[in-house]
Amino acid sequence: MKTPFRPAPLALTVAAVLTVGCTHTPWSKDTAAPVTKADVVEHYADLAYANYQDALTTARALDEATDRLIANPTDANLEAAKQAWLAARVPYQQTEVFRFGNTIVDDWEGQLNAWPLDEGLIDYVKADDYQHELGNAGATANIIANTRINVGGETIDVSNLTPELLANLNEIGGSEANVATGYHAIEFLLWGQDLHGFELGAGERPVSDYVTGAGCTHGHCDRRAQYLDAVTDLLVSDLEWMVDQWAPGHDDNYRAQLLAADANDGVQKMLFGMGSLSLGELAGERMKVALEANSYEDEHDCFSDNTHNSHYYNGQGIQNVYTGSYRRVDGRLVEGPSLSDLVRQTNPELDARLNAQLEASMKALGLLKAKAESSQAPMRFDMMIAPGNAAGAKIVNGAIMALVEQTGSIEQAAQELGIEALSPDDAGHSF
Amino acid sequence: MQRLTRLLLACTWLLASGLAVAGDTTDLDRQARHLWYDGILSGYQALAREAQTFARVAGDYCQAPEQTTLAQVRDAWQRAFLAWQAVRFVDFGPVENDNRAWQFQFWPDPKNLVARKARALLTSGAPVTREQVEQGGVAVQGFPMAEYLLFDDAFGTSDQALPATSSCALLTAVAGHIADNSQQLLADWQAFRPHYLDTAQFRDTTLRAGVAALEILEERRLAQPMGLRGTGKRSVYVADAWRSGRSLAGIEASVRGLHQYFFPGLALLLEHSDQPELGPWIDAQFGEVLEHFPALRQPMAPLLAPEGHFGALQGLYVDLSQLAVLVNDQAAVALGVVRGFNSSDGD
Repeated sequence: MKTPFRPAPLALTVAAVLTVGCTHTPWSKDTAAPVTKADVVEHYADLAYANYQDALTTARALDEATDRLIANPTDANLEAAKQAWLAARVPYQQTEVFRFGNTIVDDWEGQLNAWPLDEGLIDYVKADDYQHELGNAGATANIIANTRINVGGETIDVSNLTPELLANLNEIGGSEANVATGYHAIEFLLWGQDLHGFELGAGERPVSDYVTGAGCTHGHCDRRAQYLDAVTDLLVSDLEWMVDQWAPGHDDNYRAQLLAADANDGVQKMLFGMGSLSLGELAGERMKVALEANSYEDEHDCFSDNTHNSHYYNGQGIQNVYTGSYRRVDGRLVEGPSLSDLVRQTNPELDARLNAQLEASMKALGLLKAKAESSQAPMRFDMMIAPGNAAGAKIVNGAIMALVEQTGSIEQAAQELGIEALSPDDAGHSF
Repeated sequence: MQRLTRLLLACTWLLASGLAVAGDTTDLDRQARHLWYDGILSGYQALAREAQTFARVAGDYCQAPEQTTLAQVRDAWQRAFLAWQAVRFVDFGPVENDNRAWQFQFWPDPKNLVARKARALLTSGAPVTREQVEQGGVAVQGFPMAEYLLFDDAFGTSDQALPATSSCALLTAVAGHIADNSQQLLADWQAFRPHYLDTAQFRDTTLRAGVAALEILEERRLAQPMGLRGTGKRSVYVADAWRSGRSLAGIEASVRGLHQYFFPGLALLLEHSDQPELGPWIDAQFGEVLEHFPALRQPMAPLLAPEGHFGALQGLYVDLSQLAVLVNDQAAVALGVVRGFNSSDGD
């Protein structure tokens, strides 16, 4: 489609741009038998299983690191806990591609990764630099500083901070911004509010926020520690549950259901997950809104300024599903029959193009990551989206455009594989 | 008399069918694109006109607040805003340039960026310039920012309330930006004509635009504030134009816009499809939705309140959902429109 107008980043229909230079090595190059949809769906379940196992392993390491911080609040232990959180994000962000299309994941993930959150629900915030969701009665409840909170007329006893209590406090008062649990709540407890706006710098929570006794800063250090302990325990148990859902050898878990269903349904879920994350979520909600409104409130990992990695590993997850490969946190490579193999059997040109586009989007996201992590002159995501930062906008737009382009080919791949309706079962996302 | 009307209608129906049978699908599609093109053109013309008026009235008011009243500026804002609602369904073509749709209306805005940006601009001391608005991002540039200045309760009682110099500078700069954008959009749409008419793909693109707009109307603009999806909490803040109490008037304008500018092309295609009965059904359903107005041209917040007349909103919701089912499920399928990923998939 050639128009005299510059195509918008998020056009509904996407111009397919022919690119060459595919670097993906097909898994099935040595095998004679053609790959079937059932093979591909089964391997998809293997990928999810490996990926969630890694998310669990790294979450356990985070849990242990925060336990050490609580027992012995030193700068070194705070830093170690932050490093463990950053490491845990690497596998988890890659799992997000499983979320769209698999209702069981979508219904579960809010407790782990909901954002943006009104952090004033959890702990102290600097009032004049805190913008919460309009109409959110719980936005300044401050669970840590209170043993009873009142949200929209309802009084809740929060004296004993257990994982169950925190899980029940999610979305209290009917507001999605009331996120009491998950990675971003933990992120806030480790880093604190980022008060640097568009300037370089993340949250700067002092370790003394966890010191009990006279050295405690900002009050209620024991409750803050109790909160951190409960919320990291909950993360681990939530991930344990999801690992079980994908584990082989059970006849009553989600994996068993998925493999018992028509393989076309599985392929549809795979493609739906890739396309939804690529366009609506990553390119749209997580990048375009923040960029066009110059809004660091819409930054994904806003306390730690780790947004570039969240985006990068989201992109990696999309590529993983298409190529059927996943690099585990211990370095092992999981490989098997892929969507790429399926598409190549009937349309090698489309397969080559989509592989090249996935490479291109990883390159664009890689640039975003490299700029953010530059040792000389780091430009974090919240700096890239500052008003008037043309160089930053160009980097973000490059990633958006690459994701938009690959989504067009994902739609074509769906048609190629005979998937008529790219709609979810029941995920509540509009098409 | 009634019989005569019916007979006349039947004749036009036959005539139209005859015309299309003579041509092929390509001709029919082209005719549909003609109808859509002209409809959207008149919608964009109305927007350009009303936006121009709004900018003029805002300027007059800020120059001589004793001669032009705030009520007049609010009225001009509303006319321009409603003209935008009527063409808001168009999500392709020149409105895609530079995110113009978001420049007109950045929404949803759960974090109240509009107020935050306004505060930042107004507390800097120096009067806001047009350039600051051009550089300020989509939350600064459109109808919601003007609405904040004109209607926000807290702002209206602050010492920066209109016609304070700095607030007036921001208002006129934003109104000027909206007017220029509308003018440019119209000019670009006129230049877009041959390409739109010659490109077969725009049949499906246009149909998808109507489908997506109905979905957004039903789910995001109505069901969400009513608490029928998501967390289940009723909240006027997730509706658009809540500050001015024009959420429902905006819905009406969008439905009218779809009926006026989108439906004729759709009706023509349906008439020659396997399900010709769908066209009149959809037409009638548009009528059902619009029958709720002007009675429902009122602020949404009181209707959402526990003691409010929630049933009135439910009635509108039911009719709007039925319209969405007819267009999005039945008509789109009858016309073989394959839907792809769209930009509002996220959460």
